[in-house]
Amino acid sequence: MENVDLSIVIGGPQGGGIDTASNMISKAFAYSGYQVISVREFHSNIKGRHSYVHLRVKNSQVRSLKYPVDILVALDPDTIFEHHEDISKGTRVLYDADFETSELSQARMIMRDTSRRIKEMLESAGHTLNVRGVLDYMKSKGALPIPISFGNVVSEAVPDGTPTRYFNTFGAAATLAVLGIDKNYVEKVIKSVFGNKEKVIGPNIKVVDAAYDYCANHKLRIKNLPDLEMGKKMLLTGNDGSAIGKVLGGLRFQTYYPITPASDESTILEEHEELKWMDGENTNLITGGVTVVQAEDEISAINMASGAAMTGTRSATATSGPGFSLMAEAISFAGMDEIPLVVTLYQRGGPSTGLPTRNGQSDLLFALHTGHGEFPRMVISSGDVKECIEDSARALNYAQRYQLPVIHLIDKNLANTTELVDIPDGSSINIQQPDRSDGKDSFSRFTLDTKNGISPIGYFGKDIFWLTGDEHDEKGHVTEDTWMRDRQMEKRFLKLQTAEEEIPISERAVVLGPAKADVTFMTWGSQKGLVLDVIDALGKKGIKANLLYIKMFEPFPSKFVSEVLKKAKIVIGVESNMTAQACKVIKMNTGIDVENLILKYNGRHVTEDEVIDASLRIIEKKEKVVVLENGA
Amino acid sequence: MVHNFRTDVAIDWCPGCGDFGILTALTQAFTELNLDPKNLAMVSGIGCSGKTPHYVNAAGMHTLHGRGIPFATGVKLANPNLKVVLTGGDGDLLSIGAGHFVAEGRRNTGITVVLFDNQVYGLTKGQAAPTMALGMQTKSLTRPNVFGQVNPVALALASGYTFVARGFSFDTKQLKDIIKRSIMHDGSSLIDVLQPCPTYNNINTMEVYRQKVYKLEDDKTWNPTINESSADHYEEIYQRAFMKALEMDKRIPTGVFFENNTIPSFPRRLNEHVKDYLTSPPALQSVEKNGKSLVDPANSFVDKILQ
Repeated sequence: MENVDLSIVIGGPQGGGIDTASNMISKAFAYSGYQVISVREFHSNIKGRHSYVHLRVKNSQVRSLKYPVDILVALDPDTIFEHHEDISKGTRVLYDADFETSELSQARMIMRDTSRRIKEMLESAGHTLNVRGVLDYMKSKGALPIPISFGNVVSEAVPDGTPTRYFNTFGAAATLAVLGIDKNYVEKVIKSVFGNKEKVIGPNIKVVDAAYDYCANHKLRIKNLPDLEMGKKMLLTGNDGSAIGKVLGGLRFQTYYPITPASDESTILEEHEELKWMDGENTNLITGGVTVVQAEDEISAINMASGAAMTGTRSATATSGPGFSLMAEAISFAGMDEIPLVVTLYQRGGPSTGLPTRNGQSDLLFALHTGHGEFPRMVISSGDVKECIEDSARALNYAQRYQLPVIHLIDKNLANTTELVDIPDGSSINIQQPDRSDGKDSFSRFTLDTKNGISPIGYFGKDIFWLTGDEHDEKGHVTEDTWMRDRQMEKRFLKLQTAEEEIPISERAVVLGPAKADVTFMTWGSQKGLVLDVIDALGKKGIKANLLYIKMFEPFPSKFVSEVLKKAKIVIGVESNMTAQACKVIKMNTGIDVENLILKYNGRHVTEDEVIDASLRIIEKKEKVVVLENGA
Repeated sequence: MVHNFRTDVAIDWCPGCGDFGILTALTQAFTELNLDPKNLAMVSGIGCSGKTPHYVNAAGMHTLHGRGIPFATGVKLANPNLKVVLTGGDGDLLSIGAGHFVAEGRRNTGITVVLFDNQVYGLTKGQAAPTMALGMQTKSLTRPNVFGQVNPVALALASGYTFVARGFSFDTKQLKDIIKRSIMHDGSSLIDVLQPCPTYNNINTMEVYRQKVYKLEDDKTWNPTINESSADHYEEIYQRAFMKALEMDKRIPTGVFFENNTIPSFPRRLNEHVKDYLTSPPALQSVEKNGKSLVDPANSFVDKILQ
């Protein structure tokens, strides 16, 4: 069959159900057997400001988003104003005809500078300063508007309801109708999205019917997407993936203080607090659970998790940049006292409050250096939802095995990306238990008698030992003895060497794509799938490229990275920050400069089209640094 | 075997320090309660009070400045079977750690907070702590204290601690009895311990305190306890505790100000939502079988599966 590759943006006011609409679209495609990915973009605002979801659907693996889109769905005027550049020849612009005369000057929720830029664009192109003007601009670029009076159609379908409450369902259903997705799937989606709420399901199904009838009567269908085989899948965000991975990895205690985009993970854990498994003989069902505690601040959150960890509980906390800043002192304590602790660090646009709901990869160097003094830590990063699951479980294992703080980096883009993934097999996840105390009264928590730096751990409630933030002797009592200080420092750092020896390189860095290539990309985090798509696209243009993908930044896989980069011809670093932090880490550890950079720091997700374009500018035009600017 | 709860670590508090009395009261209380040292967690922050766990033969955690309460809360919530006792200074608990102090009242986790109240920062050479009165000038201050004074007993009452008391470090018998009651109380306790700092606080000395303190329990009608049967008198008992808390000048009351047995502890509240939390708390759950994860996502995250 032909290749299906569709891009969609659906936008509307925050609080207007855009999330639900996007969820409906994703699920309907999934039920039809298509691969789908989406990312949510929103303001730090509860109601009113512009939010949108960018989706891509394929009948093969989908791992990036791109502009221009095939369908732009606007539930409000702001979406038309904000997304005027996302279209091209043939883009269907499905919008509520009732706001066609809305003026730009009345769109008060659009940021002042954005509004000014739109105004300048419309004036220079000679269009009126309202929705109609923008539509004229889009038409001049070949876009095809589909005006529908949402209010008329919806109030006819649900006469006794508040029409605007169904605009999101209508927008989603109309999109699916235009693409020829079987209506039965959409009805199934409605039932799955609204659960058992019969009162809500009924009118929403009427709205779906109305959307399908309207599109059929007006011959709006542009495609007829056939059904494909659907495997059993989960529809998960990065937040979901991390939560699931933690549970699989044996997490039993999680603390947090509310912060975007991290707190969703803790909410998901709280929703799934109750766990069940069969006992050793497979006869009795055991109930357990993850205890989730909302702390009074991030300082408390991390210290509570550290306290819990020392009772033998697998413990973690999750936060974002500002909260992580507050945790710095406790990270140092966990390093000093060899506490098995996982901190999931959701990166967002900084500095300070920065772009609180937007993407960023600007906390890598901070994660590597958080906390005063010198102590071992591990820093790992995930690049897609599947990796979030695996890495969250791994992080807990690393923490237990090496008894140190493990910082797990997930960027906002990944946290809010929804992907279809295979259901993970719990019994395939290894749980690594730490070396334990012998339980004797003479137990020395920080014994120097180790070959690998790992002293058997003791637990509150089972052993008597001491912890102190001061330098300590083997028992854990304060010491300032010069010899003991040196030996304890060396013992702690020896654990990193042990980790290097024990952890397979595939968990730390990999080369994806051909072993030999003319261009080698280097990236980390959520750009992974995107760069792989870019490599495929460049391949079609006759450019052979591969990817050095880095997953572990401490201990850094220096030897491997160095060997790859020494063999590479053109190296291009792709990062969502301004100062190319991963490239700095490479330079620091290997002495090698990554000379070509594709960087983005406007907080929006990176898209395939802009990276292809930037790569060509570097490869063919010899530009050194390209800054990406896509995104509303 | 009766345990004396003392280690052989050399104690480096100044001669005449009130801390010695607190340490004695603590270890005597542990011995008299016949606690298993493995089931006791001693937690502290930073400062002279922070050294206490090293002198007690039980699991000890000498943590960060101001952060004793979060650590102690984490230990207790992961394993509510443990007795958790926190020793902290006035700067530790009421300045850098004040947010946690208040939050702990809201939680009522079930930890005993022993506040070493000497009104100065001893280890850093005598700066004014939050419990020092406005205008007071101890010998190491270059000018009179320009900050107002926090009232720890009133703050604990306002924050929601369900056991609030005051002791005096030179009355170890009364202090020991208060500590024993607080450890057996199912909820969080604040014990404000008046203690001289012989090195830096030349104003509130042992002699001054001895003249000012009196015992609430000497008044035979004093009853600070709220039980299910006396819940109707809640406001009266709470108000009386507050009135007593405000007595800070010529005479200072010691003893138990308030004990509320009708508010469920945080572990009990969690047990309402996390199934079997009290019988199978986080620290006692298994996480693996033959090195493999116990949890099957197809069961535990069924709502995320597309069917």
